[in-house]
Amino acid sequence: MSGAKTAADQPATALFQLHAQQVEKLPPCQAQCPNSGDIRGWLGVIAQHEKNGLTLNQAYDRAWEMIADLNPLPATVSRICPHPCEDLCTRADKDGAVSINAVERFLGDWGLSRSLPLPRIDSEKHPESIGVIGSGPASLSFAYQMARRGYSVTLYERHSVPGGMLRHAIPDYRLPREVLDAEVERLLGLDIALRQNVDLGNDVDLEELREKHTLIFLGLGAQAARHLGIPGEQGPGVITGIDYLRQRKERSESLDGKRVLVIGGGNTAMDAARSAKRDGADVTVLYRRSETEMPAIGTEVDDARAECVDFRFLVSPTRIIRDGESIQSVQVQGMRLGEPDEQGRRRPLPVPGALQELAADIVIVAVAQASDWHGLEAVDTAHRWLRTRDDGKLDKDLWAGGDDRGPSIASRAIAQGRLAAESAHAELRGERGAGAASARNPINAGAVKTDFYANQQRSQTPRRPQTEWLSNPDAEINQTINYDQAIEEAARCMSCGLCFDCQQCFMYCNASGFTRIQETSPGNYFVLALESCEGCGKCIDLCPCGYLEARD
Amino acid sequence: MPESQGGQDVSISAENLGFTRRQERTPPLRNTVLADGSRIAVIGAGPAGSMFSYFLLSMAETLGLDVDVDLFEPRRFCHRGPAGCNHCGGIVSELLVQRLATEGIILPHDVVQRGIESYMLHMDVGDVEIATPLHEKRIAAMYRGNGPRESEPLDTQSFDGYLLELAQEKGANVVRRLVTDVRRDNDLMTVACADQHSERYDLVVVATGVNSHLLENLEGEFESFHRPARTKTFICEFRLGHELVRETFGPSMHVFLLDIPRLEFAAMVPKGEFVTVCLLGDRIDDDLINRFFSSPEVRNRFPGGVIPQQACHCYPRINVRAARPAYGDRLVVIGDSGSTRLFKDGIGSAYRTAKAAAKTAVFHGVDAASFKQHYAPLCRKIGNDNQVGKVVFGFAGLIQKTRFARRGILRMTSNEQAQTSRPRRMSGVLWDLFSGSASYTNVFVRTLHPAYIGSLVWNLVAGNVPGSAARHGRASGEEESHVRR
Amino acid sequence: MGRLGKEYKKGEIIARQGDKGSCMFVIQEGEVEAVAEAGGREFRLRTMGPNEIFGEMALFEKEIRTCTVRALGPTRILTIDKRNFLTGVHEDPSLALRIVKTMSHRIRDLTDRLAKYEEAT
Repeated sequence: MSGAKTAADQPATALFQLHAQQVEKLPPCQAQCPNSGDIRGWLGVIAQHEKNGLTLNQAYDRAWEMIADLNPLPATVSRICPHPCEDLCTRADKDGAVSINAVERFLGDWGLSRSLPLPRIDSEKHPESIGVIGSGPASLSFAYQMARRGYSVTLYERHSVPGGMLRHAIPDYRLPREVLDAEVERLLGLDIALRQNVDLGNDVDLEELREKHTLIFLGLGAQAARHLGIPGEQGPGVITGIDYLRQRKERSESLDGKRVLVIGGGNTAMDAARSAKRDGADVTVLYRRSETEMPAIGTEVDDARAECVDFRFLVSPTRIIRDGESIQSVQVQGMRLGEPDEQGRRRPLPVPGALQELAADIVIVAVAQASDWHGLEAVDTAHRWLRTRDDGKLDKDLWAGGDDRGPSIASRAIAQGRLAAESAHAELRGERGAGAASARNPINAGAVKTDFYANQQRSQTPRRPQTEWLSNPDAEINQTINYDQAIEEAARCMSCGLCFDCQQCFMYCNASGFTRIQETSPGNYFVLALESCEGCGKCIDLCPCGYLEARD
Repeated sequence: MPESQGGQDVSISAENLGFTRRQERTPPLRNTVLADGSRIAVIGAGPAGSMFSYFLLSMAETLGLDVDVDLFEPRRFCHRGPAGCNHCGGIVSELLVQRLATEGIILPHDVVQRGIESYMLHMDVGDVEIATPLHEKRIAAMYRGNGPRESEPLDTQSFDGYLLELAQEKGANVVRRLVTDVRRDNDLMTVACADQHSERYDLVVVATGVNSHLLENLEGEFESFHRPARTKTFICEFRLGHELVRETFGPSMHVFLLDIPRLEFAAMVPKGEFVTVCLLGDRIDDDLINRFFSSPEVRNRFPGGVIPQQACHCYPRINVRAARPAYGDRLVVIGDSGSTRLFKDGIGSAYRTAKAAAKTAVFHGVDAASFKQHYAPLCRKIGNDNQVGKVVFGFAGLIQKTRFARRGILRMTSNEQAQTSRPRRMSGVLWDLFSGSASYTNVFVRTLHPAYIGSLVWNLVAGNVPGSAARHGRASGEEESHVRR
Repeated sequence: MGRLGKEYKKGEIIARQGDKGSCMFVIQEGEVEAVAEAGGREFRLRTMGPNEIFGEMALFEKEIRTCTVRALGPTRILTIDKRNFLTGVHEDPSLALRIVKTMSHRIRDLTDRLAKYEEAT
């Protein structure tokens, strides 16, 4: 059959075919999550539990396991995470991003309340012994991923309690210590040895550990805060943000009526300011740029304001004026914003003559973090942060992760610990790196047909009444959504780029090309018989989540 | 309101029950008459579903009856391309345009892509136009969805979307959910959706069309139900631009009588900047489609005789044998998913079945016996007419295959169109056959008229005598005056 | 965009009193006036707009138009064939309801006007 010759010199029916194929895409939440959490996956397990023969309890258990697979501290991390996963949620422009963070927090608490065990991978024991320096989120994550793969792991912690910054720098009103304790305890339960009060360089040196262990992970953190380097800084009444927060955890001291100036605009500055407020002080935060450039989480700034913390923007301290030992005031220089710097933030420039004195009793400096390289003479610490390969490898038996590679959020520390462990495990077992993460393409903007989904308002994280924040200073402000809200919120997920069983392709395919799978699971509901496809492209047009796409 | 005639004493016979649930005999039902607060689920907001909702709510309003209608439709007709489309040639027949106008429903001008006032018949032996005497635009070419892929969204309003709006104005509640199952649930019906939502109703109206998988699910759920038999058709769209469409196709529907096996009906319909090609027959496949597009009669419709790139195409299935039975207790199947006219005026059938079902539900009852008495006769009537239709299309097939017959028809039609005083027997038959304006039975009976047969025989002879005007490929000068540009 | 029916210009006559007719009309767009001629004078009976029907009497009884209908501006009119209409009513009598309503409304209107006329004279 020669067929009608057409413009393209092909038979008429060969023109304009849109044959479908099922292709999973990377959703924006996962792309944004530093730890690449399979958010769509665990929300789907919950939202679609009935379809897959799970009770809601079973679905929550399973969803928790999926989170715990990548992050052993979900109840902890969800409480402090600024949740970048929600920033680009496809739902944001419709009726608000999915409250991923609220559901994760619910699941974290669910895992604790049900005493769910952390999921193991390997029952096989490996002979290699692993040493981990530090016990912050990166170290705990690394230790967890190695222990569950069958290695014996020892943690060396300088302080008497594990947890690193989670323990020392996050105030109780954001992260109750019971939550951290429970999650760390559950983790140590995987036969991880903890050696407390061991200070690298003093109590033990690196060479000794390298001999003892096959592999060492450095999770030192960045707890040595930088100083301002201005006259009058040395002396009583000046304290770094992290030191203040740590001391306060051990014994809180009344600052009743004291005038406290907090220097800095990051999260540590907010934590310090709000803690000082709880200790009774009059607190003013000084930041050298304007509010828009502040790196602190927006809600923390709002909450600080709600607690009557004052803010002075575009001021930079130039000297601390003392009367004898005690601080009298701080001289500040007025600033203005210049051109953006390499990070895109506008650089502050002094305004000539704009000098001012602000009365103060205590100055808390929270301008920048630094790592303490004591005991790491054998390692290249010439730069401000450790320079490792992407997977965290520093030297043949040395790996690193967390803030010692540059400060970031806890979720990134968890990711660095996990990726280092995966890579180290592959190397120890002589396997090729698992590093080649699945090459899924991010879903295109607009591929999700948001008008298919019914409107459903985002559920708000419940909060303690504001009147109680200061009167009950250690009580956690944010609360956990309830059992019913968790599934309602999970059901708001549009499942960008993965089948969630809307069944439109199956129902409307003229050629009956889709067949239902017997054993379904999120993403696996229908098989498309490619040979039966008639190329009309209807299913591609209909597919709300962008899972179906055209074949070439 | 009137009592249900069969409501109180439904005798349990398989015949009476219509749909029976697998392995289960339904006990006699209570309250099978709609009352205030009764809940009705209509599955599918195509023309059948929307018109059912519209008519039911209108009648209920007249009676002062307060019922809830949930109209389930997950798709949005505002989407362009197949996602918002319900797959048909997109013709509102002369008959239906008039019926709707009589009902007080006028099609807005942005729904009507083009008003059609004539048929252009294309054959290898020549073309002839069959026009309405008044040159009145009596047929509407429209889009079921919001036009093909690539169309300009501003140009178009979906026909289905418009009917849905009418239903909504009457108070139908549109539920944006995909129904995956209908089950009998004690005395009532349960409608289950893909998102795990389910609700109970006093009456379920299935108006999904034949291209939905729900009918297969219904077969699984109800032992006695047989979904319609289907055959594959082909529809595609070419974007030629307003100017070219107007010039080449005019206000005419173009029908092709070609000698291609298994092709029963082929037409091109101008719509705005597009032209829709629609092929009906038995198992339309790629080979047949290629033969169609390679025939000169078709190629000559396109600039330079070259088939341009399609903007959109699909292979919708059509109903070639009705669902059996199309009703049960608290269940009725309307539109294409139930009974429809063979090849023609599917939307007209949707209108007829929707209205008949709505009347039955409002005035008689929602039990199988009521539907059997008041709804089934219409389905039977459509079915019987389709039997005649098969014979008529058989004849048309014979003409397609026989060159001398085509000449006879061309001559007879051309001569009729050239004068106005004598009855136009062939033109009338062809018009009614193509437009679906009369039943197949009516068309068939007219072809048995002695005057028709006599005239046809004469034209068959005259049309095939060498030297006669109509013998030559294209129509004669006289006839050409009727080929409107 | 597409339009149905037939177009009439301002002043054009759609149906003429005394002519034979076998169809009813539905206004798609525009306005028309119905006028009756008697004793060499014209009386405007009424004006009608979109979706209104006229000429419905031809569907039921004698086929002579009782009045003249003229377009008041650019107008589009769709015709309803007697044959199509009666076939439809045969299958579904409720199809005639709207026409019955219209006719009843017009009879009421005429009755009122007649009463006023009687009163005046």
